[in-house]
Amino acid sequence: MRREAIERIQAAVAYTVLGLLLLLVLFPFYWMTVTSFKTEDQMRSLVSMFWPSPFVIENYTQLLTKTDFGIWYRNSALVAISSTLVATAIGTIGAYALARLRFLGRAFLSSATLITYLVPPSILFIPLYAQIRTMGLADSLAGLVAAYPSFTVPFVTWLLMGYFGSIPEELEEAAMIDGATRFGAFRRIILPLAAPGVLAAGLFAFTQAWNEFLYALVFISDVKQRTLPVGLSTFITGDVYGWGYLMAGAVLTTLPVIAVYTYLQRYMVEGLTAGSVKG
Amino acid sequence: MRAGLRRRLGADWHLGYLFVLPMVVMVIALVAYPFVYAAYLSLTRKYVGVPPVFVGFENYVRLAYDGFFRRAVWNSFVFTFASVGFKLLLGMAMALVLTSKIRYRNLFTGLLLVPWVAPTVVSALNFLWIFDASLGVLNYLLVKVFRILPQGVGWLSEPGTAMASVIFVNIWRGFPFFGISFLAGLKAIPAEHYEAAAVDGANVVQRFRHVTLPALRNIIIIVMLLSTIWTFNDFAIVYILTKGGPGGATQVLPVFTYEMAFGAQRLGEAIAVALYMLPALAAVIIVLSRYMRRSHAK
Amino acid sequence: MTDPRLRSLAEQLDGGTIARREFLRKSAIITGGTAAGLAVLRGMASGQPKTKLRIWLFKSYVTAGNDILAKQIEAWAKERNVEPEFDWATFGDREQKFVAAIEAGNPPDVAEMNYQGPMRYKAALRDVSKLAKDLAAPRGGLLPYADRVVQLNGQYFGIARLAFGGGLHVRKDLLAEKGLKMPKVYDPDVLEVAKKTQDPSKDIWGFGQTLNRCDDGNGFMQNILWNYGGGAWDKDGKPALATSNLKANMAALQFAVDTIQKHKVQPPGVMGWNDASNNEAYMAGKLVTTNNGASLYYAMGAKNHPLFEKTQVILTPGGPAGTFVFAGAYNWGVFQKSKNHELAEDMIRWVEDEKRFEEFMKACSGQAGPVYKTRAEHPYWKSNPNYEGMLQNIMRSVWPGYPGPISPAAIEVQAQYMLCDMAGRVVSAGLSIEAALKEAHGRVEEVHKIRGGK
Repeated sequence: MRREAIERIQAAVAYTVLGLLLLLVLFPFYWMTVTSFKTEDQMRSLVSMFWPSPFVIENYTQLLTKTDFGIWYRNSALVAISSTLVATAIGTIGAYALARLRFLGRAFLSSATLITYLVPPSILFIPLYAQIRTMGLADSLAGLVAAYPSFTVPFVTWLLMGYFGSIPEELEEAAMIDGATRFGAFRRIILPLAAPGVLAAGLFAFTQAWNEFLYALVFISDVKQRTLPVGLSTFITGDVYGWGYLMAGAVLTTLPVIAVYTYLQRYMVEGLTAGSVKG
Repeated sequence: MRAGLRRRLGADWHLGYLFVLPMVVMVIALVAYPFVYAAYLSLTRKYVGVPPVFVGFENYVRLAYDGFFRRAVWNSFVFTFASVGFKLLLGMAMALVLTSKIRYRNLFTGLLLVPWVAPTVVSALNFLWIFDASLGVLNYLLVKVFRILPQGVGWLSEPGTAMASVIFVNIWRGFPFFGISFLAGLKAIPAEHYEAAAVDGANVVQRFRHVTLPALRNIIIIVMLLSTIWTFNDFAIVYILTKGGPGGATQVLPVFTYEMAFGAQRLGEAIAVALYMLPALAAVIIVLSRYMRRSHAK
Repeated sequence: MTDPRLRSLAEQLDGGTIARREFLRKSAIITGGTAAGLAVLRGMASGQPKTKLRIWLFKSYVTAGNDILAKQIEAWAKERNVEPEFDWATFGDREQKFVAAIEAGNPPDVAEMNYQGPMRYKAALRDVSKLAKDLAAPRGGLLPYADRVVQLNGQYFGIARLAFGGGLHVRKDLLAEKGLKMPKVYDPDVLEVAKKTQDPSKDIWGFGQTLNRCDDGNGFMQNILWNYGGGAWDKDGKPALATSNLKANMAALQFAVDTIQKHKVQPPGVMGWNDASNNEAYMAGKLVTTNNGASLYYAMGAKNHPLFEKTQVILTPGGPAGTFVFAGAYNWGVFQKSKNHELAEDMIRWVEDEKRFEEFMKACSGQAGPVYKTRAEHPYWKSNPNYEGMLQNIMRSVWPGYPGPISPAAIEVQAQYMLCDMAGRVVSAGLSIEAALKEAHGRVEEVHKIRGGK
């Protein structure tokens, strides 16, 4: 009886806290969405604040027909997906080596990976831009695909180092006793087991790439090669903000990420659980 | 000879070097080389389009006497520590709620992650609109709906509220990462530990103190350190909301660097500003790698 | 397929232009890079055979003007068989693009720059003196403010194009209601108009002009200093904020701060505004007066906003020493790195042709203010009393550094928002007027020392 009461109180507390957190998190998105269906006149008056009146979809129709939003979307997807694949591949094998293999310089490289995290992007991007240009990748999405791993690989590596560390070494040894090479053991035994971790790391890299602003702004000068965050920021034209476009674009940019995360968040948790968390 | 080499380079050196090669190439080309070049620039007088002139530590010395720089250093610490502190609390709340008995847990986890995955630029612009003194919904709520305040507040125009506002947005954006990491940590705690504690008659608070917290110790430290680095380097939120104003009240180092580089176009000094942060961040990194190595070694 | 760079290297080697050792080194670098997957990426970044001209344009809110300019350049490109690549940028993201592109050795061929461009990027810009003089002569010469912006010691680093028209936007309906006249000076005219028309209980404020770090804040603070006979520089181009101009500057800064703190004619939150905030507030009917570029007037016209007909644009108010306006000329810069500088200059001639500029100007709703004497005499400026107000603003314009010469240091004081910081330190940090001036003076001195003569 007493135990039941405590549980009921616990549940009540949990739901209350959950409600408050959801309010905190979702209200700005609610506001974004509501604003995107308002006319500009309504945005500038304090009438019917919490529901659009009249309810218009012209911000969306104009966004999709009159601007390059579709192209930006495609560019962003292209860059985010490609750079995620690159970063995850590099990070996965690197992390495996650092976590499992014995070779000279391993400890040094583990620390070095982390230290790259130190470097603030705001000082790097001018020399980095010169570098990207030397590679012949200036002013193209490829330049971003090449540049983004510079900040995603260290985290991916770090996350996966933990993950590989959590997989019992005996599994590999057993496979190798059965005649598999070290590489074979990695490919057939370890990699499948590490899939949730790799997925989590990939999600992380994707999120970072999808949201990146500074490099995309600076490295790209062709209008047709812009990514979403940069494209959206161009709705601030001169000294007037196109709030309608901005909000409609914001909603459409955020939606897929919400969809993906609602579905895939458990892999994220799983990846983090086995990875960074042990101890 | 071969055996000696093998001993020196380690048992798995073939595959080991092959696997880290792409990473090493990438880090050298895209981080280390640009970084070294940037560090060299910080020792020069460098204007845009003109070759650099070596001046030694002049830029660093000058900055040490610059009142605006010193205020930016102070602001950066306030911004970082306040943000990380609140993110820790909210993240813990989020993780505990999501591990308690609630329905639709996956859905809620996904929803609570949204601030962290939505593009920062977009969120910051949205908050600019929410905080707007005359048309923003925040003042509308406080003045017209709940009638808590007699008159709207210029959230981004008073030094105190401006700092609080940028910190708030940073917390809002960053706490879900704490939450999901702690959630992962909580899931890794074997149920037997709680059962044992319950058998010993521990109540909720005691169980949290004696089982949960110790088990999460490492992850708490790691996440806080990571977040310290991210927050310290955060540029977009402050830049979009206040550009460091009013009167430098929210000026933080990344924005100051940016102003130096593009406002003043003194690239050498701009990079010196950024490099001033390194010792502090280096300390964080050293602690971080110690903990991470320890947790990996286990 | 072999990497084209590798092939060209091999050719160079055959021709004996580079040493074998160099070849080995370079090919090692290239194959290494290719191995890292660059070839694939380069495929995504393939180039075009036609001559390409990279053109950076200013993205103005007056989109009708943007469209006409783009159309004109496309017509030119077709005529010359050139492929134009446009990049549009607006306030805020422009400078970092210029800096990064120049530093990485990848600037555009030609760019539309703001008033800061010629002084700041002159190391990377071509001397365009000949073209500048060719264009100015038949147009009655450049107006002094525009001339100073693009020229240093007789060398031209930019071809002036336009200055943003604008001025004090006034709700004439509210003034008429109270039988008030259009204000000519800030103190007492604007204060009187503001106090008599505002109604804080309805959130309607007499005057809305931020002193925050943005172009609007810069312009307001700079104008006020001049209006009171002060300014950041003396006649010889030496810093004068807290020396020879101290007295005038104290009066000016005091007034600027008083509009917020003592007279309370500005809305709450004004110190947090950016360039967009006064536009938003004015269009929301919350302001009686505000200084802004023509973009505000255009925005209301383009959207059939009810306040469009109720707005009059007049010469920005003055002070005891007269009326001064800060308006810098937008201008074309051609970069030294450009391999097609002749094409770039040809393009500038094309769009600066008077017929084409006229077409552009008429679409710009007063934003394309004149830089040449003959353009100022165009009947367009008499066709609408608001345009007349905007023209008056342009004709009163002076350059950064006034009354001294323009200099990179004077540009920096603007670009770093030092005068805004000065006001902010009084309003937000509670510094005394004099202390704020002295602090700002120190910063101006330092900039002068570092960049003064260069």
